[in-house]
Amino acid sequence: MNVFHEKERNALVNLVVGVSDMKVSNDPESVLITYSLGSCIGIAVYDSVSRVGGLLHFMLPDSNLDPSKARKNPNMFADSGIPNLFKSAYKLGAKKQRMKVIVAGGSQVLDQKGFFNIGKRNYMAIRKMFWKNNVMIDYENVGGHVNRTIKLALKDGAASLKISGQGVFEI
Amino acid sequence: MKDIKAIIQKIDKLKPMPQVAQKVMSIAQDPQSSMSDLSEIIIYDQALTANLLRVCNSALFGVPKEVESVQQAIVYLGMDQVVDLVLMSGGAANMKDKQDGYDLGEGDLWKYSVSSALIARELAERGKVENSHLIFTAALVKDIGKVVLNQYVADSYEKINLLVSKHEFSFKEAEKAVIGIDHAELGSMVAEKWNFSKKMVDIIKFHHSPGESEKSLLETSIVHMADTLCMMMGIGVGSDGLSYRFDNDVAERLNFSERDLQEAIAGFGEKIQKVEELINAA
Repeated sequence: MNVFHEKERNALVNLVVGVSDMKVSNDPESVLITYSLGSCIGIAVYDSVSRVGGLLHFMLPDSNLDPSKARKNPNMFADSGIPNLFKSAYKLGAKKQRMKVIVAGGSQVLDQKGFFNIGKRNYMAIRKMFWKNNVMIDYENVGGHVNRTIKLALKDGAASLKISGQGVFEI
Repeated sequence: MKDIKAIIQKIDKLKPMPQVAQKVMSIAQDPQSSMSDLSEIIIYDQALTANLLRVCNSALFGVPKEVESVQQAIVYLGMDQVVDLVLMSGGAANMKDKQDGYDLGEGDLWKYSVSSALIARELAERGKVENSHLIFTAALVKDIGKVVLNQYVADSYEKINLLVSKHEFSFKEAEKAVIGIDHAELGSMVAEKWNFSKKMVDIIKFHHSPGESEKSLLETSIVHMADTLCMMMGIGVGSDGLSYRFDNDVAERLNFSERDLQEAIAGFGEKIQKVEELINAA
């Protein structure tokens, strides 16, 4: 039995979500993963009925900075990447009211004052969009000075968070 | 506290910066030097030439036809770019290994270093700060001290982490408090041993505290800013995370607005995949 489980685990496919990138899938053998979130933020969503999951890794809060870059790659910014994540998940059959939402990242360097606190701004951009659209965050791990990695298994929605230097935590 | 002398002696275990990289560096800083001066130095190093041509022909640069000689590479990419590539291949030897003490996997420190060097170059251009080769190289090798300190950080990680997570130390301050020396100071000693210029030594020493730099305030500020952006983007970041102090005077010193910095992040984010190709190729 153990051997069977081991084989099953080995069959899982890691879908790596890069920086300014987003992936959705309904393949239960897939694991979505995004590495090394500094002041960037990762948002993972999962619908346990359709077993659709998605993961976004955006860098900056507001696409008004450079609309042409946002058109080319909406996943760079919160305000263009978040709608893209949700719409892509809906296309695969996910329903908003069933979706579990996980948010991680948004760190900052020490002594970084308001002037240049992108991590905090990224988080505020999410809060604003979620509030407007009635999206609840089920789990969040944001701020501080650490570096984070998120993993989401599409088979059952099991998610984990790795904080570099501190370990891996099941969510 | 550890035996500092023993740590400093470990510098000799690093692979030395190749002479060709040092010669190229001095050519780059000499306004009188020409394309042929540069190619003359490179062509006698076969491995370097082969590597340079391979990188030139990678998708990153999109040159119209296959580059077959160093001279062609200089024509297509320009002297600056070729100098950067040579300096990169000089710095790679020590920085590609994994660094367990900092929880950096194989290639992570290298990725971090190349990314900071590219961002530093872009910020230098944006801020109209001269000496872009010096800035590029300094940003590339600024963390060489981590390679020497890695084992000591691994041995004392719990103590260092306690100071950082519970007592508001920066990672560098915690290295100094627990081990007796930090990676920036140690990196500047490496640079001295390798006969780098005084400015370069200064930038490496003060890249986390640019306000202390007397010899190269602007260049060190650029490298500090590039380092900060790199940490924020999480490129090759390890257990030290973002636990370094930000010098809030830097933006004013360089006359950067927040928009400038966000644009630099967006610009780098756009070419990040191509940069990864460069990192893997170089």
